[in-house]
Amino acid sequence: MSTGEVTIPIGGVYASGEPMVIKTLLGSCIAVCLHDAVRGVGGMNHFMLPWGDGEREDAGRFGVHAMDLLIGAIMKAGGDRRRLVAKVFGGANLLDVQGPVVDIPRQNVEFGLTFLEEEGIPIVSTDVGGRRARQVHFYTQSGRAFVKRVRRAGAQVRAEEQARTTPSATYGGITLFE
Amino acid sequence: MPATILVVEDSKTVRAMIRAALVAAEYRVVEAPGAREALTTLEDTQVDLVITDVNMPDIDGLTLTRTLRAGSRGRETPILVLTTEDGEAMKQRGREAGASGWLVKPFHPDQLRDAVRRVLGRRA
Repeated sequence: MSTGEVTIPIGGVYASGEPMVIKTLLGSCIAVCLHDAVRGVGGMNHFMLPWGDGEREDAGRFGVHAMDLLIGAIMKAGGDRRRLVAKVFGGANLLDVQGPVVDIPRQNVEFGLTFLEEEGIPIVSTDVGGRRARQVHFYTQSGRAFVKRVRRAGAQVRAEEQARTTPSATYGGITLFE
Repeated sequence: MPATILVVEDSKTVRAMIRAALVAAEYRVVEAPGAREALTTLEDTQVDLVITDVNMPDIDGLTLTRTLRAGSRGRETPILVLTTEDGEAMKQRGREAGASGWLVKPFHPDQLRDAVRRVLGRRA
């Protein structure tokens, strides 16, 4: 069977039980890849901040929601969360900036690792930190991941910075039944 | 006497977020990591509202909803489904199972509290 391709943006979440390659480009953001080897189901998210702060209403970009959405998507695709293993990528410090912004990559990495530990999902590999952006390819069926360091990622840095300062509401809706 | 809400959610992190949102509005919260634990909790705890996830290992949230509606305990208790499932067909299944409402994750704390207030108010 041919392998389809999908590229996920900042805030994106994708999972499939079909053989797919999921691609993303990471600067200070994190991508968590989850895989259920028994069912051959895999998925990836791409988040830019660990938590929402109440004023910013762009939930999909926050780690906790991104993880919840990813686990939900994996289960919908036929995976079992009790069998999941994780790979964690990203969190590079691309900017030589002093001040609180410097902490974002570190906070992202810490959030990803802590969340997985709390949820009892084993981490089988990580490639985090450093000063280079990463191009990640994740194969949903095998669970293999390939990471390439990217030297010139100015566009990604600008996209991440813009995403951080441009809120977009992505919360779900409420339906009350009669 | 604050209302007691049973939160059924397999993710510890998401459970903690739901708890934080509800405790801020002075609700009393009891937690269950799965449907089995929820059924056990309901045997000896009076709750005013159940909030349940759908996709959970073992027993899913819609099966839990049907079980509660068919049993002696929880037959009348409002049940809010809180899930990443946003399809109309799934919502319809929730309605048929006997859910009182359907909230799509990610949720904002204000949204969740608003839905809880409305469902509890409807019951009064």
